[in-house]
Amino acid sequence: MKQKISALMDGELFEDESEVLLDQIKGNQSVRKNWAAYHLIGDVLRQPEHIHCDLSAKVRELMQDEPVLFAPRGRAIREKTRAFALSAAASLAAIGVVSWMSLQIGPESVPRMAMQSNPIHPAKAEILPKSNDYLMAHQEFSPSTDMSGGAYYIRTVSYRTDDIQPRNNPGNK
Amino acid sequence: MKLSVVIFRMLLGVSLLVASNVYGEEDSAGFDWLKVVIFAEHQTDYSGAFVYQYDNQVNTSRITHVIEKDGGYEKLESLDGPQREIVRHHGQIWSHLDHEHEMEQVGSQQARGKFPSLLPEQLSSLSANYRAKLSGYERVAGYNAQVVLFKPIDSLRYTHKIWVHTDSGLLLKAAVLDSKNKLVEQYAFTQLQIGGKIDRSWVKQGARTGLQGSGFHQQHDTSRVGFPVNSGWVADGIPAGYKKTMEIQRPMHGNHAPVTQIVFSDGLSAISIFIELEDGDEDDVEGLSGRGAMNLYHKVVGKYLYTVVGEVPPQTVMRVLDSIRNNGS
Repeated sequence: MKQKISALMDGELFEDESEVLLDQIKGNQSVRKNWAAYHLIGDVLRQPEHIHCDLSAKVRELMQDEPVLFAPRGRAIREKTRAFALSAAASLAAIGVVSWMSLQIGPESVPRMAMQSNPIHPAKAEILPKSNDYLMAHQEFSPSTDMSGGAYYIRTVSYRTDDIQPRNNPGNK
Repeated sequence: MKLSVVIFRMLLGVSLLVASNVYGEEDSAGFDWLKVVIFAEHQTDYSGAFVYQYDNQVNTSRITHVIEKDGGYEKLESLDGPQREIVRHHGQIWSHLDHEHEMEQVGSQQARGKFPSLLPEQLSSLSANYRAKLSGYERVAGYNAQVVLFKPIDSLRYTHKIWVHTDSGLLLKAAVLDSKNKLVEQYAFTQLQIGGKIDRSWVKQGARTGLQGSGFHQQHDTSRVGFPVNSGWVADGIPAGYKKTMEIQRPMHGNHAPVTQIVFSDGLSAISIFIELEDGDEDDVEGLSGRGAMNLYHKVVGKYLYTVVGEVPPQTVMRVLDSIRNNGS
């Protein structure tokens, strides 16, 4: 199990395997503690400015001792508070997803992942014609050439029918 | 031609019985189809039209492949868009693009045998990194095809799916899928003639004149051909199972200084690393780009321009590039 968690953190599991494991993490206290501990170890090894540790138990404990207020409040204020709480929860969830994704594939790839979710536009910047030299030089030695004869050389000369919009390159930091 | 493929498959059948103890039987059968494809590709005359599709792009091309006494000749012509043509023989490539009006030799293969096949070590790295699965039979371009799926064990390489003509062993269709099973690119014959009368006038003309008479322009300049080196450049980020198949210094982009190219292959895909001195050209765009299964990542590090290209996912070319270093040999 510990190996699997480590593999998940390193992004070495397939999606279906990850999902099963994530479900287990959700359902099992000790597995969840392992998961947290591994991240703490990783964080310490990376020596960031802040180290995250699990405060949830502590917070819950303190909350038990908090006095409960029964002061009446206006409906509007209550609505506002709820809306704020919801959006706060949503942004927390988003941060969680983003940081999980960055753990999976490294910080550079995150914007690309986000772009791939849009099926209408091509997922990445088109290879510029001036880079075709590299494609040609690579194709000479690719196993795909042995399998398909010259057919895969189409990759080196293919063209787009639509105009290519210059865009910020997601690979740049 | 067909007979030799049949005999080859019978021989493979024997090796399958032996190998099935080592790998799963289905794995072994899948990898044997790969051997059949490579064998057939270098034995068969054919001519046909195929589509190449990636993103929302579709290109149609015609390929003609004939075997002569001195090896195979291939001609690839675009059927739509700007006129482009590539002729290949013994790893020498002539390309003719619309705007150039001249055939130029753009590359020359190094140290590649006349008859490439899967080496035993490539086969073992294939079976270590891909699960092969026979996925039934389908019809492509009017022919019956065996479908074989190669699923990688990690997300650092793509899934490859091939459709192999059951009689001739030719590759009729090939698709590349990502880890979410989304199509990255595919290439498929829509019409194909196997054997029989195929126009080879362009070959005879080319063989006699060095392809010059037909508007092809071949350069016998040895400076255009790479030579093997031990450059001292390494990349620890190369995924498991990729073996170094080539390390050369080669001329590129006209008159610039020679470029070091290192090629790694896992039997189904390859990764090339290019290292050259950064020439201060502001046009050199850093970052990631791609076309179909091909991903390319440029980055200037110190006084060098690194480029990593391969038919592997974007995260793999980035990971490889970021691990490039010189071990100072």
